[in-house]
Amino acid sequence: MSQTTQKKVIDSRGSFCPGPLTDLFKAYRSANGGDVLEVWATDPAATSDIKAWAARTGNQMVEVAEEKGYTRIAVRVTNKKA
Amino acid sequence: MNRVVIVGAGSGGTLLANLLARQFHKEIGDERVSVHLVGEGDDHFFQPGNLDIAFRGADPKSTVRRESSLLRKEVVHVTDAAAKVDLGSRTLTTRAGASLQYDHIVFATGAIARPELMAGLREGSLNFHEGPAEAARIWDALQRFKEGTVVIAITSVPHKCPPSPNEAAFLLDEFLRKRGTRESVRIRFVTPYPRAYPAELISEVVQPMFERRGIELVPFFAADHVDSTAKKIYSLEGESESYDLLIAVPPHRGAEVVRASGIGDEEGWIPADKHTMRVKDHPEAYAIGDATSIPISKSGVVAHLQAEAVARNLASDIRGDRAVFEYNGRINCPMETGRRRALFVSGTYDSQPSRESPTLLRYAMKKEFASIYWSTIQGGWSWLMDAYFGETAEPHELPAQSSP
Repeated sequence: MSQTTQKKVIDSRGSFCPGPLTDLFKAYRSANGGDVLEVWATDPAATSDIKAWAARTGNQMVEVAEEKGYTRIAVRVTNKKA
Repeated sequence: MNRVVIVGAGSGGTLLANLLARQFHKEIGDERVSVHLVGEGDDHFFQPGNLDIAFRGADPKSTVRRESSLLRKEVVHVTDAAAKVDLGSRTLTTRAGASLQYDHIVFATGAIARPELMAGLREGSLNFHEGPAEAARIWDALQRFKEGTVVIAITSVPHKCPPSPNEAAFLLDEFLRKRGTRESVRIRFVTPYPRAYPAELISEVVQPMFERRGIELVPFFAADHVDSTAKKIYSLEGESESYDLLIAVPPHRGAEVVRASGIGDEEGWIPADKHTMRVKDHPEAYAIGDATSIPISKSGVVAHLQAEAVARNLASDIRGDRAVFEYNGRINCPMETGRRRALFVSGTYDSQPSRESPTLLRYAMKKEFASIYWSTIQGGWSWLMDAYFGETAEPHELPAQSSP
């Protein structure tokens, strides 16, 4: 069955470790394969944590971009079996 | 008449009711203010005690008291469960169908552990987050458990008491060593986070302790389901961990009354201002403690400090003052590390938890707090709490035109 992929923005600005990761985990649980989850974070540890998470779980880093006052970290869901 | 209704009789709701009752003692006597506390039944559980029940065999009865014995006489205690709140008409309906009109409402409805939300988890695991009876089942299981693999798994976030899974691992290790069976039992700590504790500086202390005690860390494991027949827990990526005994932190959700009232997000957490604790778009409503969607530890200390801030804000609302008290996000979560040591995970919205080594003093403080808990939620020991925490809710003056 084909599914429409979606982009979901997770606004974790103002939330410190492990807030952005916690927010990502919640979104990942309900995401489908191919979806892009884009975390907006002000926590400086968010980028390295999410990169490590993507590498370990086999999901794909799409983009890390510095915006005005926050970082945009996008991950594509590519290895979710459930 | 200013009618205050507090929904939920855990530590935050109970303390808030008692603070308001003391603050408005005269007005309540004159029938100008009323304080109703709505909470199902008359049992109040000291939830941190669940760890002692599960891993030290403490008597479950030692962690429960009658809620009515903890409340000042000015508080009207409604022991029926809240079924629904209509924020528009300012009406609370109880499960039995009684209606309560209010002018101010506070949601202190907590977080509920829901193992049934993950396939196989109820059948395949034990937990200490649902209550003392469930915690006692862990102690019973440990009496029979001689060898094999114990998996301690955080199956979902957020959950109550962030340090509690780590404490479970340390206390299990201690129990097995005392019994002399540690060599024949593997302990595997399964977490969705990249490290042993979510906050990095605390993890830098905890993770080496795990290594020294032979507690095996399995990071980045987002649990999906449990096969209780095969005794395996599976991740969303299809990986699995085998176990002989699974002690799991179940998924948590906000209370049913929050969902039924259409107030919370998709998991039932209430969106509230992280400083004033006011519910979004409803200045007459507040939410405190585990019930909120605020990115902060779901813990008793947070509920306590937020209850104090809301007591002061409600006093401003009722008296028509323009002072607004803003909670600064102070957390202080004790983590027992076994061998009569503990550390505190402390921080605020603006300062992340700093590195701290476990000490006997912290352990003694944690144990002492357990003994004064019942008094603190009656408003006692406030001088000690004030001395330790300092000011956690600074007052700000509202502009003249914007008072609620």
